[in-house]
Amino acid sequence: MAFTSFNALQPPTWIGLANFVELVGDPIFWQAVSNSAFYVALAVPLRLGGALLIALLVLRPFRGGGAYRAAFYLPTVVPDIAWALLWLWLLNPAFGPVNQLLALAGLPGPAWMVDETGARFAIVLMMVWQIGEGLVACLAALGDIPVELLEQSAVDGAHPFVTLLRITLPLLAPILLILLFRDTIHSLQGSFVPALILGDGGGPNYATTFLPMYIYTTAYEYLRFGYATALTWSMFLLTGLLLFAQYKVALRWRLGFRDAE
Amino acid sequence: MPNRPWRGPRLAWTRLDPWRHIILLPLIVLFLGPLFLLVTTSLRDTGTPLSRQLELWPGQPAWGNYPAVFALLNLWRNAANSLFVVALALPLTIIVASWAGFALAQLPQTWRLRLTALSFAALMVPLSAVWLTRFLLFKELGLIDSRFALIVPALGGTSPFFVLLFLWTFLRVPPELFEAAQLDGAGAARVWWEIALPLARPTIVAVGMLTFVSYWGNYVDPLLYLRSPDKMTLPYALQALHQLDATNWPILMAGAAMVTLPVLVVFLVAQRSFLQPSRGQGWIGR
Repeated sequence: MAFTSFNALQPPTWIGLANFVELVGDPIFWQAVSNSAFYVALAVPLRLGGALLIALLVLRPFRGGGAYRAAFYLPTVVPDIAWALLWLWLLNPAFGPVNQLLALAGLPGPAWMVDETGARFAIVLMMVWQIGEGLVACLAALGDIPVELLEQSAVDGAHPFVTLLRITLPLLAPILLILLFRDTIHSLQGSFVPALILGDGGGPNYATTFLPMYIYTTAYEYLRFGYATALTWSMFLLTGLLLFAQYKVALRWRLGFRDAE
Repeated sequence: MPNRPWRGPRLAWTRLDPWRHIILLPLIVLFLGPLFLLVTTSLRDTGTPLSRQLELWPGQPAWGNYPAVFALLNLWRNAANSLFVVALALPLTIIVASWAGFALAQLPQTWRLRLTALSFAALMVPLSAVWLTRFLLFKELGLIDSRFALIVPALGGTSPFFVLLFLWTFLRVPPELFEAAQLDGAGAARVWWEIALPLARPTIVAVGMLTFVSYWGNYVDPLLYLRSPDKMTLPYALQALHQLDATNWPILMAGAAMVTLPVLVVFLVAQRSFLQPSRGQGWIGR
């Protein structure tokens, strides 16, 4: 289908590589690629780091621990659209609570969704709250680490941070890698509703036109299903490249770790 | 090696009990802050202009904002559609996912590992990659603008993740239990229904909760596959509300709060079965 011109009303016509030729010369496509890459590069480490940190803090049973876990998961279950509308309000430049808080602290509030840079950061910001899935996965993985290992390390007099760095994290590495893959894909996908609502369809000035957003507009507003399929394939390719790069980096990190031992 | 409950020498980095709260409390405020503001904003008076100062709690809570949403939208109709979708998708998901997980658990090791790897691969496929193919498929099947289009993913267990959750649960059951039932003459379906499912109750609750959340909040699918306003689900109603008056924040937030409330209730009721530490690994459930 990527090789056809197709509007879902008339039968598709074969146009060869024309879609891909157009794609290479399409400035909005490249804008969407770089937007998506920027977003993933910022959101994924924040989300994973946050999930791991919170998991470490609430791992062991303690008074009120259950309430904390539930509270951290809560934003994740809020329906996407309600979450997006809420943040549209929170980040309102003049009346939104975020800027009013900043004003209380004497800081100038950014114009958020009106400004290109502000809009990019705003969407990362609102996604950092919804990390429940990563949190649960980290909790499960941390719970599977044999307690004896950690005790042994403590008995040997290792500083707790050394234990964390040398024992907990390496044991967690495979799970973290899977989570990294999953979150990269999930984040690419999750940018759609925020871009549609907060960015009002990918604005301002295409600053929040991520790949899924662009695919949606191309297919459902311009009825260019053939070109949208070509876009979908390019998104697949980008995802594959990202995962491959992450895998390579992770492998090197693991090898480096073995050398240090 | 079984994971025994936490006792014995504590590690230094878990010994910061008061400190733990000092770190966690600001984080909690940060995490729950948006939801708190959702409620307070929804109670603001719509008549007076918005204040330029931070207002944590409205002086005169305007409860009338909630009924006002019903005057603007056919909210009951949308709620009925959402309920219809969830009511069909939820049991279907649990049946299909647990059935698939049970089948996987019975397979010989090599095939089980292969299929597990395949499930992980399926988990990696971005959903937007199937938007177009699904759309064209539904068009062929005449499912465009039909609420059944929203339920179709449940026929595949909704998410490979749910299948994996059931697989891991059933793998923890001693196989002798299933074998004994089989020797007694029970077929696969009966073993699944009478032995496997009752043992997997916490998993059913957890998967059920996650399924509810995902179908209730699903905004993209109605956007892609539905046309008629009277078939739309609640998330789409919220968007309509946004389009009616994009700056009437109290009303918008009241609508968002009402759509969010059922999810929060379901989550708080079910969260124990998948967020709280399990009591030992030896057996599933309680």
